[in-house]
Order: sequence, then structure tokens, then C-alpha cells
Amino acid sequence: MRFLSVGVLLLCAPAGWSQSATDLADGKVTFRGNCGFCHGLDARGGRGPALVGRQFLHGSSDEEIKTVIRSGVPGTTMPAFIMENDELNRLVAFLRSLSSAASDHAAPVAGDVARGKQIYQRNGCARCHRIGLEGSVFGPELTRIGAGRSPEYIRESIVNPSADIQEEYAGVTVVNREGKRTTGIRLNEDTFTVQLRDLSQNFRLFQKDELQQVIPERKSLMPSYATLPKDELQDLLAYLDRLRGDVNAGAAVKKVGGIR
Amino acid sequence: MKRAVCLGLLAASMLAAQVTYERLVNALEEQQNWLTYWGDYSAIRHRDLKQIHTGNVKDLRLDWIFQTGLPGDFEAVPLVVDGVMYVTGGGGYAYALDAHSGRQLWMYKHSFPPGRKVDLVNRGFAILGDRLFMVTPDANVVALDSRTGRMIWQTEMAPFNKGQHTATLAPLIVKDKVIVGISGAELGIRGFLDAYDDKTGQRVWRFWAVPAKGEPGGDTWLEDSWMRGGGSTWMTGTYDPKLNTLYWGIGNPGPDLYGESRKGDNLYTCALVALDPDTGKLKWHFQFTPHDTHDWDAAETPVLLDLKWKGRDRKLVIEANRNAFFYVLDRETGEFLMGKPFARQNWATELDSKGRPIVLPDTDPSPEGKRVCPGMAGAANWMAPSYNPETKLFYFAVREQCDVYYTNPPVYIEGRGYEGSVARAVTDEEEWGLLKALDPLTGETKWDFRYFRAPWAGTLSTAGGLIFAGDQDGYLMAFDARTGKNLWKIYTGHVIKNAPMTYSINGRQYLTMPSGSAVLTFALPE
Repeated sequence: MRFLSVGVLLLCAPAGWSQSATDLADGKVTFRGNCGFCHGLDARGGRGPALVGRQFLHGSSDEEIKTVIRSGVPGTTMPAFIMENDELNRLVAFLRSLSSAASDHAAPVAGDVARGKQIYQRNGCARCHRIGLEGSVFGPELTRIGAGRSPEYIRESIVNPSADIQEEYAGVTVVNREGKRTTGIRLNEDTFTVQLRDLSQNFRLFQKDELQQVIPERKSLMPSYATLPKDELQDLLAYLDRLRGDVNAGAAVKKVGGIR
Repeated sequence: MKRAVCLGLLAASMLAAQVTYERLVNALEEQQNWLTYWGDYSAIRHRDLKQIHTGNVKDLRLDWIFQTGLPGDFEAVPLVVDGVMYVTGGGGYAYALDAHSGRQLWMYKHSFPPGRKVDLVNRGFAILGDRLFMVTPDANVVALDSRTGRMIWQTEMAPFNKGQHTATLAPLIVKDKVIVGISGAELGIRGFLDAYDDKTGQRVWRFWAVPAKGEPGGDTWLEDSWMRGGGSTWMTGTYDPKLNTLYWGIGNPGPDLYGESRKGDNLYTCALVALDPDTGKLKWHFQFTPHDTHDWDAAETPVLLDLKWKGRDRKLVIEANRNAFFYVLDRETGEFLMGKPFARQNWATELDSKGRPIVLPDTDPSPEGKRVCPGMAGAANWMAPSYNPETKLFYFAVREQCDVYYTNPPVYIEGRGYEGSVARAVTDEEEWGLLKALDPLTGETKWDFRYFRAPWAGTLSTAGGLIFAGDQDGYLMAFDARTGKNLWKIYTGHVIKNAPMTYSINGRQYLTMPSGSAVLTFALPE
């Protein structure tokens, strides 16, 4: 929903500058206004991948980066942006200036990847998450989590899942007239109804006038794993960091000369 | 067969239906019809129809649906004249429907020159005699034969030039003139309001929404900034036949979010102008937001009411402005009488005795982004409000939503955005909407009904004691005008981006609300 509104806005708001006025500062303004919401104001990642100190997943030539910006990434929340060439040039120049300043941070997360996978399995993560076609659809998919999120973001999501909750995974609890509570992932909410996917993964539609209360969950429905031993957390992180989307939805989109 | 006879009779009555200027002046005496975009010149959008009322509205049901089968959303309010509905779609399409059955009588499709196809929305027709008038996405005014949909004349308002000049509003007829405004401030145009001869399509006058250097108001623009000063006139105005005065809201200045290059008050942007409809000459103006940098244009409806103001009968114009303040002005003189906030705002402490906002420091857009309420879409916008003379309340949709505003010095290139910012960033804050019932004499809220999201739909008031409204999730709803209690709703499945209207045929009352690319019409069971 949010991405949609950003995209629509851009559609009606093609900004324009002259080709000659290339300026990193302008690229930065463009970045903050368009990209910062997901990639972070300093491009160190957030809901979108970090754009500093990492290899770009979809190619690192100027043209490849521009293609990603112009076309979006199928199967992900990266939308297509309508931008003029000069604006794109300045945006790419700004991104390049960040990468060259921080290229020594590109090393993958240290840790025992095989043990990390066992920790993932032992803690029952697949009861809510899925990797490729394995696991559940209750929580966010992790197939390409290492490409899509910075290690700092992933670590925070494990120890403090409530720090940032994606809108499509926001929880909600409804209380009916008899006081019975039902909690789940909020799929739809409007003026009169709430629809959720409950903990048994059934779709449930509630009329608000038949409810005592609709309580948006400020906390994530995911429990915190802050009690994991430090070395186990590090190994889990190393495993998740290497999930780069071999089986992601975008890979199923065949496109000539487009996104891989 | 029976249907064919009915349609035949209808066609015959269409031939007789001549909508004279006198009928437009007295539009409220034809409660069964809806003759202008606002329903009448004052834009109260209240109908003395009460077959559907608070007691039976729960039985309201869908009577017919008309679907265009085309992409794009209806944003028009249909006209209904003696049993025929005229409605415009997006992308230059328009339709005449049998208002009783929803059957299409004719369709018009604007012919775009190569390279000019634009799928912009359109807000509706005006009618005079047996002619309908509409604007097109490529900034033409078109006159159609209301009986056949055949084009009679077409006049270009301004060169299309890579999409700089566009048009979306419903024209307003005053006497023998077709009054139309222009869009494109975000691409660096200089806005204007035009009047065209209804018979020939010749332009009769033009009012520049942004004065040139040396003209009155020209000194409110830094250097040559007036030349691309914006000031779109993109929504239909209102008209007082007795005062012979036209009231029109002017859009925001350009570049939208960058004010450094256009220091000054930037008249007549974000203002209401009162014009002589015969000449286009300015009678008075009132500027709601001097030197706007948040895109808070004044395209909201200037509703004309005659009320007792502090013990004295006065001719008023009221408006819930995009900047989150509700205004009452004297419409003979433009004198500011009252202004109060009706939604969250954090940009002004209050209005001074002349109605000028006392602006808080550090509320301009910045390169790092500045959070300001209301958001760029405003606390109110173009969606129609209504006024019920029985409850004496003003009903309108409120958007409770804030934005982070960025700014950047723009360079002008023809046909490209000239907004002074890359885009609005979307904040992570909760947004919501309100249907507000407000006493226009005090600015006090009588009741609110809360929507889950900020809406883009207007309101309709009826003598059945009802307020009809739509929300962002696609509900069409009916409320008790006195209490705000929700009495009826239907989920239409698509965001509603216009305002409901009502009419009657042979004593049966209908309620129409386009949603998506469908026209939905409701009635009580027969």
C-alpha cells in the first residue's frame, strides 16, 4: 500500500533538472525523497537492502542499476520509478560515491553457516517463516533476506522483532461481545470491518459493530529470541545473511534483458 | 418491447429538453434534476427529495450498474436532465445514459492528435440549451449535441506542449458563456480562467490567475517568477446571479515546494477570486495561504450561503480549505469574517483579524524533510461538501494525514515537472478521515464520523434527513444528518473519488455514485 502511494506520487511528479547541473547534492536529495524510506536515509538499509558496502544483487554497472530503478524488482517490494535520465544519472552518481567510500565493509557476516541452519530448524522458525517453498506463510518470507536486509536489521529483528513491523505483517486482536479474543495478521481493515489471518492460518472477517474492541498490536506477533546464546545468534545471522534468493519469486519472471 | 417504447418516449422528451440559463439560475426548483456540476450555482448540494429517508434508507438497494469496460476511474458527478444522465469518464470519454435504466444512449470519444493521448480523469459536463460542454485531457473545450453526442465545436485553451496544459474540471455556464479553468501548475504553467461563447467556441475573456509584472498584484512575485507561477484553476467555481459574481478557487504557486525563487505573497495563488462573469474583471480576492510551499491550493468548493451573521442577514461564502482552516467571508466584499482550524495543523498559530495566517517558523519544506500537518493532499480537497438548510450544518470530508516535505531548487524544462521537490515522502504515521458536521456560524463541530483512512469522496445532503458519503475503502454510506449515526452502507469494492448525487423520475428517487469505472445507481424496492 505504501509503495503504491509512493509510486503513484512519482507518476504525477516527474521532477526535472538540466543535464549539465549534475551534482551529488542533488542526487542525495533525490535519494532521500524517493529511496530513503526503505533503504535508510544514509543508504545503510532498513526495509530495503543496504546500498553501501554490498554488491548489488541485480548488477553493478550504471545501466543495470538504472534498469532496477526504472523497472523495479519483480516479486519484491521495490517499485518502478519514473525518472528522467539526468535525475537517474545524479542518483547513480550519489550511490557510487557511497559505495566507494564504504567498499571495505562488503565482507559477509562471520559465523558457522551450517550450524546457523540447525539453529533455524531447532527453534521452529519455519513454523512461521519460509525459505523457498519450505515453511509457513504466516510471517515474512526469508528466501532472499540476506539480499534484502542489512545484517544489523536482521539482528534487530531477531532480538527485538517489534522494532520495525512491516505493515503487511502488523498484528491485530479483536474482542467479540462475549469477550473472546482473536489475534492474527491484519490483512484488511476499513471503516467497518477487520480481516485477519488467525494463528491457525484461517482467513477471518469481523464486522466492527459486532466487536467490543479492535486492538492494533504494537508488538510483533513474533517472540523475541534475545535469549539465544551470543554464538548461536551469530551463526543464525551468518546463515540468514547468505540467503540471497536463489528461489525467489522474481527469478520466475522471465524477461529479455531485464531483471535476473 | 415495452423498454423500446419507453426509450422512444424518452428520446422524444430529450428533443424537447432545452436547458435555458433561467433553468440553471433556478436549478433548485427542479429537485428531480441535477443541472450543474454542483447541482446548483450556490453548491449547497442539498436536495428536497425525501422518498429515501432515515427510516427506510436501510432498504436502499442497487437498481442498475453501468460499466465503461475501460481502465480509469470515474471522478465525475453526472448531470441528470429530464430522465437522461450525462457523465464524463477519463481519457476523453463521455456517455449519455437512460437515468431510469442505465442503458447507454450514446458515447463520445475525444479524438487525440498523435502523441497527445492522456488518460486524465474528468469531473463532468455543463449543459445549456441542447449542448453539453466538457474539457479534454489535452486542454480543449468541446461542445456536444446533447441528443446525439455529436461534436459541434472544439477549441484549444492553450497549446498542449508535451502535456504542460491539461484540463479536468466540469465547465460552468453563466448566461451564454462557458467558463473553464486549466491544470498544469506542477509543470510550470501560468494559470488562467477562460470564458468561451457557447455557440461559436470563441474565447470571450481570459483572467490570468497570476498577474504580470506591472499589473496589480504583480509585485508579489520575485523577478520573472510569475511567468511560471502556477495557479491552476482546476476545479469548478460557483456563481451568484443576483450579485452577478463568479467565485473561483486558484491553485498553488509553482514551483510547488520551493519558494525561494518566488519570494512574495504570490497572488492570486491559493486565493478565492470574485470576478465579473461578463468581462472576467476582478472584483475582490482573498488569499488563504500567502506564499504557499505545501501545495495547499484553494480548489475547494466556495459554497454560497445567505445566513444571519451576528444578527444581520449577510451573503456569505464558506470554505473548508486545504490548509486545515474553515473560512467565512462576505461574498459581496471579500471581507474576512471568521477562520478556525478544523483538522490537525502545525504550521500556523492562528489567523489574524484580516484572515492572514500567522505562520510558525521552520515549517517550510527542507532538503532533509520537514514533517508538517496537513499533508500535501490537504485537510480538505476538491471533493464536494454540502449544506443542509434544515440542520443548518455544513458536511464535508476531512483528511487527517501529515507528510514529510522535501525541497530542491528546480530547473525549468518544458513539459517536465517543475515542483521544487523530488516527491513527498510517506510517513509511517497513522492516517484517518472524518465526515464532519460543522456549524458554519461558529466553526464548531456538531459531530464527526471517523473513517479508517483519509477519504477522496464528497457528500450529499437530502431532505430525507440523510447525508450520503463515500470513503477510501469503497464504502458508500448514509448517515443521519442530525446525529451522524451510520444508517446504511454498501461495499463497492473500489475507492470512491467523487460525490454522490440524487434525482427522481416519475416520483421514484435514485441515488447515484460512480465508483471505479462503474456508475452505481440505487433506489428503494418498487
